[in-house]
Formats: sequence, structure tokens, C-alpha cells
Amino acid sequence: MNTATSLLTRRNIALIIALIGYLVPWFVEIPGLSEAGHRLLSIFLLAVILWMSEAIPLFATSSMVIFLLVLTLSDASEDLMWGVAEGFTDGEAPAYAMYFATLASPVLILFLGGFFLANGAAKFGLDKNLSAIMLKPFGTKPTRVLLGLMLITGFLSMWMSNTATTATLMAVVLPLIRGLAPEDRLRAGLALGVPFAANIGGMGTPVGSPPNAISIAALGDAGSVTFTQWMLFAIPLTAVMLVLTWLVLVFCFRTKTPAIEFSMEQKWNKSTPAWIYYATAVVTIGMWVTESLHGVNSFIIGLLPVTVLLSTGVINTREFRSMEWDVLWLVAGGIALGRGVAVSGFDDWMVGLIDWQNIPPMFIGGMLAAAALFLSTFISNSAAANLLAPMAVAIATSTDSGPVATVAYVALACSMAMAMPISTPPNAIAYASGAIRTPDMAKAGLIIGFIGIAALYLLLPHLVRFAGY
Amino acid sequence: MKKIAILCIEDEPEVREAVLRDLHPLESHFIIEASGDTADAAAVLAEFANRDVLPGLILCDHRLPGENGVEFLERIHKTEDYRDTRKVLLTGQAGHKDTIQAVNHAGLNHYLAKPWDAADLVETSKDQLTRYVLGREDVDPMDYLEVLDAPKLLEAIAARGGPS
Repeated sequence: MNTATSLLTRRNIALIIALIGYLVPWFVEIPGLSEAGHRLLSIFLLAVILWMSEAIPLFATSSMVIFLLVLTLSDASEDLMWGVAEGFTDGEAPAYAMYFATLASPVLILFLGGFFLANGAAKFGLDKNLSAIMLKPFGTKPTRVLLGLMLITGFLSMWMSNTATTATLMAVVLPLIRGLAPEDRLRAGLALGVPFAANIGGMGTPVGSPPNAISIAALGDAGSVTFTQWMLFAIPLTAVMLVLTWLVLVFCFRTKTPAIEFSMEQKWNKSTPAWIYYATAVVTIGMWVTESLHGVNSFIIGLLPVTVLLSTGVINTREFRSMEWDVLWLVAGGIALGRGVAVSGFDDWMVGLIDWQNIPPMFIGGMLAAAALFLSTFISNSAAANLLAPMAVAIATSTDSGPVATVAYVALACSMAMAMPISTPPNAIAYASGAIRTPDMAKAGLIIGFIGIAALYLLLPHLVRFAGY
Repeated sequence: MKKIAILCIEDEPEVREAVLRDLHPLESHFIIEASGDTADAAAVLAEFANRDVLPGLILCDHRLPGENGVEFLERIHKTEDYRDTRKVLLTGQAGHKDTIQAVNHAGLNHYLAKPWDAADLVETSKDQLTRYVLGREDVDPMDYLEVLDAPKLLEAIAARGGPS
């Protein structure tokens, strides 16, 4: 291979396109868009191309986004060649520290708290023990076992990352799958049930999946959601989707196998660190879900497990270092981009492109959900939320669609994309296990995506109202 | 994705054929090569390095023409490139002393006695390669879920996590 062709890798092409995308708004005047808006558009185009192509890691793009925002859209640009832009919404450029602060956004602290709980669950085998207990009542009939498996996966995924949940449960399911006859369709049913339930379960709580956190943070001054409120509208939807997904899998993958059984034993860790962890987890989750009763917000409680588990040494230095810091950076990039969109007046310009007043509010949500579903089928759910959540907030503040409902459409639809192995890491794990073929995943995943959008469209407005909006 | 290779060093052609036949279940995911002596084995390893192929597992006989198996393993274990390569002796003739030498100085990971059982050889290879995959930062455990020890690989995937 000569040098000329080896430089033309997919990665390099994406980087070049990203650079061109970034430079265009610096040289092309777009009518009606302020100078600050032009600079934001540059960063936005770069982010779109890099988050979609993954030419560099997602978190590296986040870092680049924050850096560029600081250099071109903050008071720091005063000392730089290009100077401060005209046309900020507030009349002046925000302090550069505002963008840095996104790395410690309250919602990221909440997420970090979630990481600590998940980390401890894996360390002390709580996830496996809970699975063993919860699977028992479902007996041995394959359809029932699948339902049990999916409910457990969904439940764990509300608190742990979708990826970790899938990997943990697939380790239980794979030996069973390999014991089934190669032509038995139950193999595909089981192998898809776990990742699908993990994707859907992630919708349930603010800590369940990054798109939820991104959406909550994107709201900014436009509104706020408590932990309990999120659960009030998201859990019913999660439950409905889990059952519907189960029905789709049972219908698509019929089996003649009369009975199956998992070999799972409970091994409860009763050491002192384990007890400290159990107690911390119970108190933290207890306080999260009762936020509306005691009034201490969930972001603050997020630091409770972090502090307790670190200071008691239950989570040690090595484990602390191996937390998924990359996920926090990825989310921070999205939050910073959202701040940039708001301060630069880019949101007003973009919203002004379409006459929203003639579009019914419900239709706006449906459209955003469809866009999110489509985008996150091909790119990371978090990246899709990073790009769409700021748009959703902008649209919501200039229409009657309600900011919370509108970002919820985006966040939840991102979690419903599961038609391809690349759609989410859980799908990738199931695919890599060799137990399913791509067409199986595509068929079931597409049906579930459509059902998901329909469920969002029909249920979310009512659920959000029920949650107090 | 970087390919991982298995290298079998065995001087008797029939025995070599038998080992390769038994390793057939791993062919879908690994490059499998064989050598008749350690000089040729060293050339094969150099070729792997040239093609960016990772030396994952060496299955080595002890009694070979020229340099013996333990001496060879000890020699390559001293170089950084083959420190984490999994090393298995597949032999009937390594004595006490040679074996101790291999464990202490060649980083021997496993000893398989001839005549071997095909299933045992495959299981041992899978186990060693699983450890190799989990020890490497530049190898995605996901790529080997289908063929190696899935529960162990999944545990690592769960610990590594990643955004959805």
C-alpha cells in the first residue's frame, strides 16, 4: 500500500470534512445569524461530523468542543486574534469558566454517584444475586423465563450502565443458549432479550443512561426535572416497552423447547465493606426516589455514595481510577455545546427557520423523537442526545410544546434505537456472542423502534402531565 | 482489528498435522502456523511482527532438532515482544529439570503431556488465549466472544463499560 492511499482512511477523510465544516461559517455569511451564531455553527458542524463518524473518540470530540467554545465564544477570545464576537444573547460573552464548569455539572455528579453504586454492585456480586432471586418465580417455561430475564435486565439497567448490565446478564444466558439446538429460534429470542431490555431499562431513571442526563442538563433555565418526576413518567413507559418488546420477541422467535433453566446460585458477600455498600446503596436510592418528600435534590445526594464509599475504602484507588470518566467527559461536551447554543443566539436563528406556530405541539415531539431514533440507530445514543437535546430545548422555549416533555422525547427515543449491532454497545455484545444474525436484530429492532415512537407519541404527553408538568 | 496468531512448534510431520487438525475450531478467529524447528519458528515470529500480527500462543514441543523447546521459550521470554505471549509445552519428553527451568525462566503457562486429548488441547488453548486477550489493551474482548471463554470476557466488558 503506498502512502497516498493509506492516508485516505475513513478516519482521515472524516477529520478533513470536519475541518472544512468548521471553517465554512468563518468565511460564508449566513443571513440572519449573528457573529457569535456563526462561530457556534462552526463548532456544531465539527461536533456533528466527529460524533457521527467517531473519527476520534467521542470524549475527545467533547474536549475539543469545550476548548473551541472557550477560545471563540467566551471572554477569553478578547485576548485572541479573532476577538470577541458580536451578537451574544446577553450582549456580552460568557466567562470561559462557564464552559469548564460543565465538567462538574450537577447531573454529572449524579451520574458519578450512579457509577459508584454500579461499581459496588459488580464488586460484591449484588447484580448477580438479585438476578438469581428475581428469576426464580418465573419458572422454566421459555416465554416466562424470557419475560423474567428482560424485567430483571431492565430493572438493573435503570441503575447500572446498559453495557455493564448486558455483559453481566449475557454471561448467564450464553451457556444456556449454547446448550440449545442451533436451529432453535429461542437462541435469538434470549440473545436479543437481554440487550433490548438493557437499552429500554436505561430510560427509567436519570442515572440509567447518558441521554437522560444530557437532556436534564440541556434544560438549563428552561425547566427542571427531579429524580422522582423523571421516574414518574419514564418508568411506566419503560414497563410498557419491556412488555411490548417481550411480545415482539416471543412472536418473532417461536420455540418448541418445553423448558429451560438457568444455573444461578446466590453467594451473598457478608463482609464489612459489602454491608457498608449495601447500606449506602439503599440510602442513596431511597433518597433519590423520595426527593419530592424530603426536598434534598438528587444531584447533591449523588455525592453521598461517592464520599461514603471512598472514605471507607470500599471503593479503592484502583477502582476509583477505572471509573468511566470518559462517559462523563462525553456528556460534558454535550452540555457545553448546549450552553453555547443558548448564549450565541444560535437557537433563536435555528428555530426561526421554521414557522413552528403552525405545527401542533404533539407533532413537534413526535418529529424530534423520530429524528433521535433515526440518528441513534447509527451513532452513539449519547452523541445523538448531545446534538439534539439543545435543539429540542430551543424549539420548546419558542413553542407551546413544554421543555421537559420535548427533551424527554429526545432522550427516550435515543434509547429505543436498537435495529443494528452498531446502534448500542448492548447490541454489539449480543451480536458478538454469535447467537444471533443481523437480520434477526434488524427485524425485531425496527419493530420495537416503531412501537417505541408510537408509545412515546401516545403516552408521553399524558405521563409528563401526570408527573406535574 | 489486529489478528492474533497461534504458533505450533513440532518436528514430526504427522504429529504437527494432528495438532493443527485438533486446533481446527479456532481457525475462524486466529492465524495458525506451524514450524518444524526453532530457527523456522523465529522466522515465523519475525514475519508476524512485520504483518502486525500478535503472537498470542505458542504450543511447543521440547525435543527438537537443534535448540530445544525450553531453551527457545526462555530465549524469547527475555524479549519484551513475547513477554505476554502464552507459552505451552506439548511434549512427552521434557524431564523434571527442563520443566522446572521452563516454569522459572521461560514464563511457562501450561504443560500438556503427550499423547494429548483433542478436547483438552482446545480447552487449554482457549483458556490461554482468553488470558492473552484480557491482558492486552489493544485487543477488544468483544471480537472473541464467540470463540473464547465468554463469561470471562463479558466480565471484562462489564468492567470496562462505555457510553450507550
